[in-house]
Amino acid sequence: MNRASLHFLLAALIAIALPLFMRSGTLASEVLIFAMAAAACNLLLGYTGLLSFGQGIFFGLGSYAAGLTLLHTSLPLALALVLSAITGAVVATGVGWLSIRRQGVYFVMLTLAFSQFFYFLAYTFKDITGGDNGLLNIPRPAIGPFSLGDSWTYYGFVAVLFLLLFAALQRVASSTFGRTLLAVRDNEERARAIGFPVRDFKITAFAISGAVTGLAGALHALLIGVAPLSNIEYHMSESILIMTIIGGTGNLFASVLGAGFYVIVSDLLSSIWPRWLLLLGGLLIVVALFMQKGLWGLLERLVEALPMGRKSSTKSSIEAPIQPESQGRGI
Amino acid sequence: MSTQTPILAADKLSVRYGSFLALSDVTLSIKPNTIHSVIGPNGAGKTTLFHALTGRVRASSGRITLDGRDITHVSDDKRVPLGIARSFQVTSLFQNLNVRENLRLAAQGRTPLQALAPWRGVNPRDNALAVADEVMERLELTHVSDRAAGELSHGQQRRLEVGMAVAAKPRLILLDEPTSGMGIDDVEAMKALIRDLGRDHTVLFIEHNMSIVMNISDTVTVMRAGRVLVEGPPAVVRDDPEVRRAYLGNMITGDIA
Ligand SMILES: Nc1ncnc2c1ncn2[C@@H]1O[C@H](COP(=O)(O)OP(=O)(O)O)[C@@H](O)[C@H]1O
Ligand SMILES: [Mg+2]
Repeated sequence: MNRASLHFLLAALIAIALPLFMRSGTLASEVLIFAMAAAACNLLLGYTGLLSFGQGIFFGLGSYAAGLTLLHTSLPLALALVLSAITGAVVATGVGWLSIRRQGVYFVMLTLAFSQFFYFLAYTFKDITGGDNGLLNIPRPAIGPFSLGDSWTYYGFVAVLFLLLFAALQRVASSTFGRTLLAVRDNEERARAIGFPVRDFKITAFAISGAVTGLAGALHALLIGVAPLSNIEYHMSESILIMTIIGGTGNLFASVLGAGFYVIVSDLLSSIWPRWLLLLGGLLIVVALFMQKGLWGLLERLVEALPMGRKSSTKSSIEAPIQPESQGRGI
Repeated sequence: MSTQTPILAADKLSVRYGSFLALSDVTLSIKPNTIHSVIGPNGAGKTTLFHALTGRVRASSGRITLDGRDITHVSDDKRVPLGIARSFQVTSLFQNLNVRENLRLAAQGRTPLQALAPWRGVNPRDNALAVADEVMERLELTHVSDRAAGELSHGQQRRLEVGMAVAAKPRLILLDEPTSGMGIDDVEAMKALIRDLGRDHTVLFIEHNMSIVMNISDTVTVMRAGRVLVEGPPAVVRDDPEVRRAYLGNMITGDIA
């Protein structure tokens, strides 16, 4: 079995296992919804080397797009979701197009600025977005013959979409496109020198990431029946990034781990100790300092430590490229 | 039509880095199917000339033509499908990707828009893969095919660096000091390779090793301080008094690596 099928199987196992271990269908749905958003973020961060603080824009706009469609039109649910994905993709294309004109820190600052801009936009146009209160009473219509009223039924719907999107993102990551993104992350100058229009690749990555994140935002709004202002706040971008980094940026499944960890731990801790975010900050520092491959890296090490895991461990050490000493790049 | 159209020509090409004029009114004409070398002391502007010809840096003034067509304002990535490929003086590889993937990407760069389709997988019978395998064979890198480029020895990295240009199947190949830092055996192999490339490509290369330059070049351009000092066949350049004074003399005293 190759790596991609193994990761898909693991994702499917998680989707099946969540209902067995969790009491709340809402929380379980949240895990998978944020797993989509984090995987989409990983396409930019892990595959393309772009640290985007704009993910919350696409998530929030996805929420609004779905909410507005379902509140003001009689279009079916599926179409509302498609519209959210398109909204996410279109806005991400614009944000990406403008932000990648600058590199490094300035790129990050631009995505941050866009994040603030869209937040104030949502806050200002209260008539459309509901402002502080959010867009309330979003209905959750049936999809075909299936009523999604019950939280576990809705979970089933989210799980199917999650698996479809996860497989699609895996396809993207392993395509010639995804492999070119890895090259861009590794050495952008060389990628350009061998003929790749790097900007077009980055913008396309943004568009795909935006579409998936927009859809995740829509599913979230349907989940809670509200498109809250917090979905487009800077904090949302930050949360999605943290999930992605804690999970690990090496592969897409790592983002599922990161999202699961973040959502479940937040839920546990926030009821016990209101300052639990401190702990999360501490964890982030640990990840940045000692385990840059995130939870996925930790898992890999655990598997290697198992006696039966040894055989595969030699193989994975060859597969995983050793980070070489950074060499000077072409002048 | 007394003279053949040059494959690549630079007309009064200048490049400024801020207020510093690194390249100043360089006029150069590369005849098709020749091996053309550029020599000159460090800081002469040779690499800058390559940067300008490949579009890596923008020309401050002057014109570049490829087969008579003006490409001065064509961006670097768009010059690759037109048939120009290069290697770098300072090795610039995809360090975390394996050797075969490095070369597959370089081969794919010729038709980059095919790679923009997010649903297209890499077909095992992909043309780019076939080219990668062929180049690995030619550069004796087949045995390290699955190693990350960053793990290779210096000599292997230098060979891969040249291989990246070869994999683009260019008509004009620019090699910036392909032998820099190589051991003697590797240098001989590289010399044979450049001569061999000259059979089906036009080769423009920067080199400090005079035995290679004088043995395999059809034309030698000598640069100094951002200008062309002398240009001509190896025998003429070697005996030019000004070149001896400005450059070769230094080399004998070991001033040039
Ligand atoms: N990016 C740059 N910014 C400023 N000066 C540069 C830059 N690149 C090269 N130079 C200067 O331009 C001159 C020519 O450099 P270069 O073209 O690398 O010479 P060569 O390849 O002949 O050794 C040198 O004096 C160098 O210091
Ligand atoms: Mg140089």
